[in-house]
Amino acid sequence: MRLRRTKLYLPGNNPNMLLRGHLFNPDGVILDLEDAVAMSEKDSARILVRDVLKRGDFGSCEVTVRINAMDTEFWRKDIETVVPCGIDGIRIPKVEDPKDIAIMDEALSHIESKAKIRVGKTLIFCLLESALGIWRAYDIAKASKRVAAICPGGEDLRADLKTTRSSNSEELIGPRRMVVLAAHAAGVDALDTVFTDIIDDAGLRRETEWVKQLGYQGKSVIHPNQIPIIHDVFTPTAKEIEQAKKIVEAAAEAAARGLGAVQVDGKMVDKPVVKRAEFTLQRAGLRAGGDK
Amino acid sequence: MKTAQAGTLESMDCIVSVTESDKGRGISIVMEGASVARFGEAMVKATKDTLRSLGVRDISVSIQDNGAIDLVLKARVEAAVRRLAGGNAA
Repeated sequence: MRLRRTKLYLPGNNPNMLLRGHLFNPDGVILDLEDAVAMSEKDSARILVRDVLKRGDFGSCEVTVRINAMDTEFWRKDIETVVPCGIDGIRIPKVEDPKDIAIMDEALSHIESKAKIRVGKTLIFCLLESALGIWRAYDIAKASKRVAAICPGGEDLRADLKTTRSSNSEELIGPRRMVVLAAHAAGVDALDTVFTDIIDDAGLRRETEWVKQLGYQGKSVIHPNQIPIIHDVFTPTAKEIEQAKKIVEAAAEAAARGLGAVQVDGKMVDKPVVKRAEFTLQRAGLRAGGDK
Repeated sequence: MKTAQAGTLESMDCIVSVTESDKGRGISIVMEGASVARFGEAMVKATKDTLRSLGVRDISVSIQDNGAIDLVLKARVEAAVRRLAGGNAA
């Protein structure tokens, strides 16, 4: 499992953020060629992002690029420019059709092969920013082995739902639940959208706790100050880690003795609980696992 | 004379303006900004290297710098030159 608690957006035409964003220690960075870049600057942002990627100084961050949507004239040039730099993945905005993911998979394979990069290396992160995209979430997540995560949209989704932002984002409860269900059914990560009020730390913590409870693995981030709060929510407490260790050790011991049932602190523990304990240790960085 | 520009005056960035020159006039570079006194030589080299790699021999370049490192300067020079040529950059 790759930790994806936080993915920090870095505007693609801003050298300061592009070069320093990883220093705030997010789990991943998203170099943004889409909404953060004015139409008149798409060309120069693409060159700048390419050269920052070639420099390759991102610490241990997972490096992804948000390309322009597949109904624009820019997306092919975007991937032709950034994929040969050996990035971890691309984030595609406004995905609505599984067929588009199949087209993207083929285009990525072609570029990887030409650039002598392992075919399949470049992962796909899908942003579902319309009612139709949310409705087709499972099929989109299953449209290519490259899909690593699906993410519900924020403002674009609200607009498509013909609603507005409420104080507790009530309007996104349904879409968020649908995305997390589809993600786990398809075996990919569910990553939540950004929390846009960058001075409301309490609100960010509340929302993060809620999406974690729903089953999300992380959130996108638009300001470095949001990173420690989200990491704090997603990092297991010492007590949770201790309990998880006990369960995993007891399960391993029982398996070695050929026993199916496991007892921890006088309580019988079944398979799902062991699985959850293993996941807690993965989140705490104490256990490897997962595939993408 | 045709002119094109790329970049901003945000921190760690620069604005590069390029103007067509007649054949045989060579490359002329004018720079201003905080880093020029210390890194001017390196900036000239980065600019000339980029122009050479793009096959540009005759051009006038003006750089307003606000702390751009080589990588950024080169990216902005390339974007400006590609805009001057009328093609889409990258």
